[in-house]
Amino acid sequence: MSVLRPFRASDMFKFNNVNLDIWTETVTLRNDNEMQYNIGFYLHYLSRWPDLCCVQEAPSGRMMGYVIGKAEGQSLEWHGHVTAITVAPEYRRLSLARKMMGLLEFVSDQIYRGHFVDLYVRCNNQIAVDMYEGLGYSVYRRVREYYGSLGVGKGGRDEEDAFDMRKPLSRDPSKRSIRPNGRDMIVSAHDVS
Amino acid sequence: MSTALDRQIRPIYDALDTGSNKSAIVACNKLLKKHPNSNLLKALKALALVRTQKVEESLVLCDEVLGSKPTDDSTLNAMLHVLRGLGRHNDMVTMFEEAYKQQPTNEDLGTQAFFANVRASNWKSAQQVATKMHKQFQEDRYLYWNAISVVLQANDPTTPPNMRQLLYKLAHRLLSSSSATPLSHTDRFYLHLSIFKELGLVDEAAALLDTEVGQLICSANLSCNELRRDIMRLRGLLKEEGERAERLITEKDDRNWLEFISLLDGTFSYLQTPSEDTQDECSKHIVHTQEVLTKIAEKDGKKDRSGHLALLELELRARKHGLSTDASRLITLMRQYFDNFGDKACCFEDLKPYIFLEGEDQQTWTSFLEDVNSDVSSVNNLQRVINSYKLLRHTLPASDITLEAEGKGAALYVEQYFKALPLGQALPATELQPADDLAILSGSVLVNMWKLTGDQQYLYRAVILLEYGLSKSKQSFEMRLILIRIYRLLGAPSLALEHYRLMRIKQVQNDTLSHFLFSRTSAFSLASTGDLTLSTECIEASQVYLSNSQETSDFVIRAFNAEKYSQIPEFIEFEERLDNSLQRDMTKMEHLRMRIAHEVISSDIIDMELIELKFIFDRQHHDNRDFDILPNYQPQSIDTLNKQTILFDKAEGLGWLWTFLKMYIRIFMMASDLDDSIEEKLLVGDRPKLSLDPEKRRPLKERIVDCKESELEELTPEEHLLVQYTEALAEWLEPYHDYARPPPDVVLAEAAKLTEQKTGFPLKGVEIPPQNGKSNGPYKKDEEAPPLTEPPEAISKFFEDMRSQFKKVKDSGDYSRTLHTATLIQEAFLLLATASLRFKATSVVKVHKLGGLVAKLKPIRVEAASVLEEVSTALSSLSTEAGSAEHRTAISEVDLGYSEIDKDFVNQVAKKIAESRKTILEGVGKGVTRLCTTYTQ
Repeated sequence: MSVLRPFRASDMFKFNNVNLDIWTETVTLRNDNEMQYNIGFYLHYLSRWPDLCCVQEAPSGRMMGYVIGKAEGQSLEWHGHVTAITVAPEYRRLSLARKMMGLLEFVSDQIYRGHFVDLYVRCNNQIAVDMYEGLGYSVYRRVREYYGSLGVGKGGRDEEDAFDMRKPLSRDPSKRSIRPNGRDMIVSAHDVS
Repeated sequence: MSTALDRQIRPIYDALDTGSNKSAIVACNKLLKKHPNSNLLKALKALALVRTQKVEESLVLCDEVLGSKPTDDSTLNAMLHVLRGLGRHNDMVTMFEEAYKQQPTNEDLGTQAFFANVRASNWKSAQQVATKMHKQFQEDRYLYWNAISVVLQANDPTTPPNMRQLLYKLAHRLLSSSSATPLSHTDRFYLHLSIFKELGLVDEAAALLDTEVGQLICSANLSCNELRRDIMRLRGLLKEEGERAERLITEKDDRNWLEFISLLDGTFSYLQTPSEDTQDECSKHIVHTQEVLTKIAEKDGKKDRSGHLALLELELRARKHGLSTDASRLITLMRQYFDNFGDKACCFEDLKPYIFLEGEDQQTWTSFLEDVNSDVSSVNNLQRVINSYKLLRHTLPASDITLEAEGKGAALYVEQYFKALPLGQALPATELQPADDLAILSGSVLVNMWKLTGDQQYLYRAVILLEYGLSKSKQSFEMRLILIRIYRLLGAPSLALEHYRLMRIKQVQNDTLSHFLFSRTSAFSLASTGDLTLSTECIEASQVYLSNSQETSDFVIRAFNAEKYSQIPEFIEFEERLDNSLQRDMTKMEHLRMRIAHEVISSDIIDMELIELKFIFDRQHHDNRDFDILPNYQPQSIDTLNKQTILFDKAEGLGWLWTFLKMYIRIFMMASDLDDSIEEKLLVGDRPKLSLDPEKRRPLKERIVDCKESELEELTPEEHLLVQYTEALAEWLEPYHDYARPPPDVVLAEAAKLTEQKTGFPLKGVEIPPQNGKSNGPYKKDEEAPPLTEPPEAISKFFEDMRSQFKKVKDSGDYSRTLHTATLIQEAFLLLATASLRFKATSVVKVHKLGGLVAKLKPIRVEAASVLEEVSTALSSLSTEAGSAEHRTAISEVDLGYSEIDKDFVNQVAKKIAESRKTILEGVGKGVTRLCTTYTQ
């Protein structure tokens, strides 16, 4: 139970309970992405894809989480992309991410007429990978050193590599945007946008 | 441009791109010899000069280029950056408008002229440019640019309120003249709707909304849907909206809480015209809604809270209207809710609006919560226990909050905390521990026990527990925030800073969260000893305001380009709120207070700070500070944790800032030679727009002597004394300053001379009056010096009062208060030094025959210095005391009441507190002595 509403620029004044959480930083956004957290990061997305950015709010007005997305790609690769999705610690395990993903998929499908929605997730983040699989996503490829700046940490390759996960939309009824052996398809970070 | 020159210019761009501004200047100079009239070269050189802070030199070039009215792309583009760097948005507008006028068929120039106006928030001129462009290029987008410019003008704080409707009507007229359908484009649709809404044209709005496309847009666009909802409300169609929501909930499984609210609003909409019939009608609908929601709740089970919570809300509203049919229903629903969702962290927050019950209900609910199984061996049960504790505590009546009861509570939460801690053992360090809230609960109780008794041992206990909790749960920012507050209360500011830094505050958080560090931070500053740690923090945190003013307008322009009309007003509001942030200027004020303790006070500092303070004094501030981020589990009948842990027990805000601004502006104006006419000539860049507020339009001299009771309420008693002291000081000295201050033309001539020496060019717009055989010495007025008066008693009384106040507080063990008192006496001394700076020059004193005044100032300074000497000695011995083994032991030997935390750990915490105290007391003491020596010679 939560209010689903558009992300507004002034939400930057009230998203501390979400953004002070370390996961917002390390999981949802690519580490070497200089834009992260800048005012410009949010305004960039809002100035182009405001309908792919939304907030979940408790009835008390406290922010619970948000999603930031965009539409990109050429011809058959035209798709919706989840750039950041995050939920404050006290609101985990309430299926909030599921609802926000639902909205983003709906808008990518109905408004942008994309072929699929995709997202990147750290290979060792099993909870997230399971959740996305539960939502109908599958691994399309593995991107080497996507979360580069951390280096090979305790988690080894899985820590710095990302899965590019995709879910086909109604414009792709034959499901050409996904493949069964995605985990074996390895590309370098330079090959992805 | 010739290709040869083109080739030669490329390296200049490269140099500018890579930040090699000096080599760019050299290259420009070389090429300018061959092409002395090239505007582009001049513009590029001006850019390199701006970037190397050579503002005066750059201004000369800049004016030359502007004078030639350039139209070529490269020059305009280079100038765009120069003018932005100089903050001259108005010149940018003129430049592009001029260029567009010369080439009215150049669409790009039109766009640039429009955007220049957008950057300068000149909505009226922006609108005129857009009108011209629409006529010329016949593109719909320019019509929309035109309309939104009108809307933005209506929203602008400098537009009189009675113009608002008129402007919206104009926007409406503009859009209705368009042949294009608003349905082709979501954001155009949005703009139409928002104008209809503002003008109350609900029928026109409905016509748009009821189209098939309109409905589709609203179903996929949250912003448009929000507007639609508002418009339905304006039309009074609550019932229809409720029915629509019901369909969405039941047929489409929509679980947006907004739909549930609509359903409930619809249910109770029958009561808008009160009569018996409507009551019956409403009762019927309550039954129906109840059935719908019960089905949803059953269907969703534990998967979604919406249906369950909506049932509670329905019952609460029914009770309010006297339409509840079952007295026990609310309690039953609450129990069910707890049974279903007690294992979710948000259960406490969800139930909060419903738990204030009366009589029997209260008892039933309380005993239900008390009966919650206290077993914490599983995460789910632990969460239930935590929720039950929070809920019980929240409704405690003030009479039950005794020291004894609180002691029991603290012990219970700690006991459970240690029992539950092993549950999270296997979690990675990046995860929060499930037991965290128990430590926070216990810490909160301990803070309250300190409030009840004033005994610091409770704060020590809270610190030890929370530090331990944090060692187990490294990412718990909530524990960190509480620790920051407590360390400041305890007078151990370096530990607060340490935790603050570990939170890695970024970007906008520097605005919303920095109050945790900067609130009255000058009391903990060692700037007087040359330690600039806190001043640097202030400057770094303030970077966000700079990037806001440099970058946000770029995104406004992007939103124009992408025609995202729903976003433009939001971006502008965001920019405005951040630009006029209260915290921004509170940080600035603290920085200034630290600055005068660090740098030798000079007329340069005074002039520069004065100009800035006057700008700030004209602002309409927004309070963006986030206090809600601090967890609050204190009972509703007492103060929140935030209020309890505010430093010196006085929350400061606009009133505090206003008082300090007035105080400093008054003293600096007195000490400075600048007046408005001089500032006008010397300032580079645009002036802020004039505020509409009649209060802000009154003459500055009147405004700074105003003193409002409500503002003074935000001051501590010591700060209040400082304000009275400064007033007395200013009243006494102002006539002498006014007499001895050189007239504006003399000051200007001096400034012009300096500029010419520095840049080789005379100062623009300033004519140096002939000296008429006057010497270079101080200017002599014809009139007599004001008669010598005795210094007001309030001045010496301040130092006496503060002396006794300090004596009282220094032995109280309240280190932060001691530092507060000491630094305020120091500040008074520095303000005295500022106010007597003019009379330090013997020539000034001689010419104006102010020797008598100087003789009266001296004993005041001596007295102030003697108080400060005492302060310094006392701080030094306090510091020795804080560094002693006894002091450490006093902290580490507090009775924790449990043994789970290692003695070593406790000793470590005690040692750090003691050391931090020692350092700050010692440093401030030494700084005081240093300042005495500097200003008493």
